[in-house]
Amino acid sequence: MSFERDLLAILPRLRRFAASLSRDRADGDDLCQAALERGLKARDQWQPGTRLDSWMYRIMRNLWIDEARARQRAAKTFAPEEAGAYVGHAGDRDVEAHMMLSDVDRAMQALPQEQREAIALVLVEGLSYKEAAAVLGVPMGTLTSRLVRGRGALLELMGEAA
Amino acid sequence: MTDIGEAMLIALVDGELDEVNRRRVERAVAADPALAARLAQHRSLRARLAGHYAPVAQEPVPDRLRAVLEESATVAPLVRPAPRWRDWAMGGAIAASLVLGLGLGRMSGTGPGSIGMRDGVMVARGALATALDTQLASAQGVDGAIRIGLTFQRQGGGWCRSFDGPIAGVACREEEGWQVQQALPGAGSQTAYRQASSADARVMATVDALIDGAPADAAGEKAAQAKGWR
Repeated sequence: MSFERDLLAILPRLRRFAASLSRDRADGDDLCQAALERGLKARDQWQPGTRLDSWMYRIMRNLWIDEARARQRAAKTFAPEEAGAYVGHAGDRDVEAHMMLSDVDRAMQALPQEQREAIALVLVEGLSYKEAAAVLGVPMGTLTSRLVRGRGALLELMGEAA
Repeated sequence: MTDIGEAMLIALVDGELDEVNRRRVERAVAADPALAARLAQHRSLRARLAGHYAPVAQEPVPDRLRAVLEESATVAPLVRPAPRWRDWAMGGAIAASLVLGLGLGRMSGTGPGSIGMRDGVMVARGALATALDTQLASAQGVDGAIRIGLTFQRQGGGWCRSFDGPIAGVACREEEGWQVQQALPGAGSQTAYRQASSADARVMATVDALIDGAPADAAGEKAAQAKGWR
């Protein structure tokens, strides 16, 4: 089917977007896999002639938000005293994964979600403001103010070395 | 004093300004060193982020993601070349000994993705030298013995390329050939995703440290190759 082939063609970019949203590469590929499965299931909702990449970015971003919410809920339910400190992450694997992160990964993780997704779409994926605003379903002015705040935070987090 | 705000500077970096506004911001930047410094920071931030995640889109897609699409495509299965990672087991062992500082001299000229010594520095030989010279990241199959990752200009000038295979690392073009800046055991087997990613992170750190601006796109890579990486 050409739908699968079209997805395969954009898969490298989808993986990159997933990596820029996620804590590490393994989480990114988990997110990417979930998005592929969701996209295949919802294939009838995609309108031929529109951008498949934008459609998939939107699916992935929605999954990512859902997952983050579920994590926060779990953290509140199971470990109220630690809520906010680890937000559901613990264990050797996480410590190990965190140690392997670069400054860029760490700084991206520190951003609020709405800034991180805007930065990922425009600076990493190279979307225009118009395209990125459409993927996120926000007005252009909202997108640009998130880009301004997100960049300010990144420059601060990464220091002058950025 | 200037009325150019942060949003305008950023829009310039993102290529979102029309001709009139672009000129206006550029004039203001030329007249104001503080504004110019801020603009440089933003350009560098964008290049650094793009460069940091770019290798993800250039490396082979993991089998498990491919499998999701293949299982779905029942009508016309996607062609999936058999991975040649098995052949690399040997190369991986050699690469491991290289990192341990053993047997470096014996590697000259032989084996896949060879690295030799010349005047005390590591240089690419054989298949690795050929791949660095001729292989374009934008046009390589998923099963080549050596994969080229990022192509970029280093600070101070000159082309560098990251590579993965039996050995993963970064090499920069010098007059007499490719000088290997870093050599690590590469992606040794298809199940070693974790292992591969640890080499990736270190290679990426080297790229981050060397790179000047953004990595070359497909056209830039091709043009650099046509000029013999000079």
